[in-house]
Amino acid sequence: MIDTQDCRDEELVVLCQQGRGECFEPLVQRYMQKAFHIAFGFTRHAESAKDLSQEAFLRAYTRIKQFDGRSSFYTWFYRILVNLCLDYARRNGKVVWESLDSTSEAVGEQRQFADSRFQPDQEAIAGEASRRANETLEAMPKKQRTAFMLRNHQGLSIADIAKVMKTTEGTVRVYLHRAVATLRQSLVEFV
Amino acid sequence: MEKVAPLKNACKNFEEDLVLYYYGENSDADRGRVEQHLVSCVPCRSFVDDLRRLLPQIGQQAALPQAFWDNYYRETIAKLAAQEERKSRWRNMLAPMRLWMVPAFGTIAVAILAVAIIIGKGGLTSLLDRSPANIPQEILVDSNQLEFFRSLDMLESLSHLERQDSDNAAPKSNQSSLGNSVATIV
Repeated sequence: MIDTQDCRDEELVVLCQQGRGECFEPLVQRYMQKAFHIAFGFTRHAESAKDLSQEAFLRAYTRIKQFDGRSSFYTWFYRILVNLCLDYARRNGKVVWESLDSTSEAVGEQRQFADSRFQPDQEAIAGEASRRANETLEAMPKKQRTAFMLRNHQGLSIADIAKVMKTTEGTVRVYLHRAVATLRQSLVEFV
Repeated sequence: MEKVAPLKNACKNFEEDLVLYYYGENSDADRGRVEQHLVSCVPCRSFVDDLRRLLPQIGQQAALPQAFWDNYYRETIAKLAAQEERKSRWRNMLAPMRLWMVPAFGTIAVAILAVAIIIGKGGLTSLLDRSPANIPQEILVDSNQLEFFRSLDMLESLSHLERQDSDNAAPKSNQSSLGNSVATIV
């Protein structure tokens, strides 16, 4: 009996392709948090982020036989997820910015631009900076935002981002540079 | 309101490399080049410092409670199971279908499609419909043309009678042929 928890992603995928659907469950376990946070980065809405990320898992499972191992599983899976998120963004146009903290029981424990030593006025400044950063991200061209979020929030390498976005590494570097320069410019008063 | 100091711009030809430097995406050669430049360039050093202060805080992910993830996982697995159930229902429905039935059904489907196309284009109706409106003009005999042919017949018969009249002087044996001609005209 194989302990699927110890298997590498690619081994689990092969088992799924052989008809052992239960081997997909550890993949869900491994990537659900990242998937949710990516989707939240696009939607800024917890319920939509949950629906989109779950839909990405369903699609990945349905198409598991099409996975040919040319990229890693998570790159392949992120591509499905990012495409779903971009479709969502196209359908819904302007996103409504919702703080993820409001869906969390850990409200107050984690705040962007703030830590526990901050005074209330510093927290207000941090909240303002966070709001500004979100607005700047929203106003950014989608491709720049996607490249930035995948690198900054998810820690994907430029090579992986290029695969996810089906573009060249050079283009991703340009997107990333422009996104960072724009953010720095908009947050000048908080530097 | 506090006046904001203008941003010091990094060297234009280094800015992209500085972003990649921050994310650790430079090649070894580029990394060495950037580090060497940073030693002597204050605006570029300040640019990298700004990135170090700002970027880790953007998109910080709030820690969601374990209960949220447990619920998320359960829901996703339930959705996967429901999807699998739907798929297997279809598989069961199609299971009795034997291999030879696939081309057979295919042929029937193509035949039905062909008939539908013929009927759709009015092929059968045009074949069965023999009303004069559907007969091409080239093969339809005009009533005027018919009259013309009849008059030609008449003229031919008259010339025939004239020939016989001129032969009145001929032997009596010819009289019977005259009778035949009159009979023809009648």
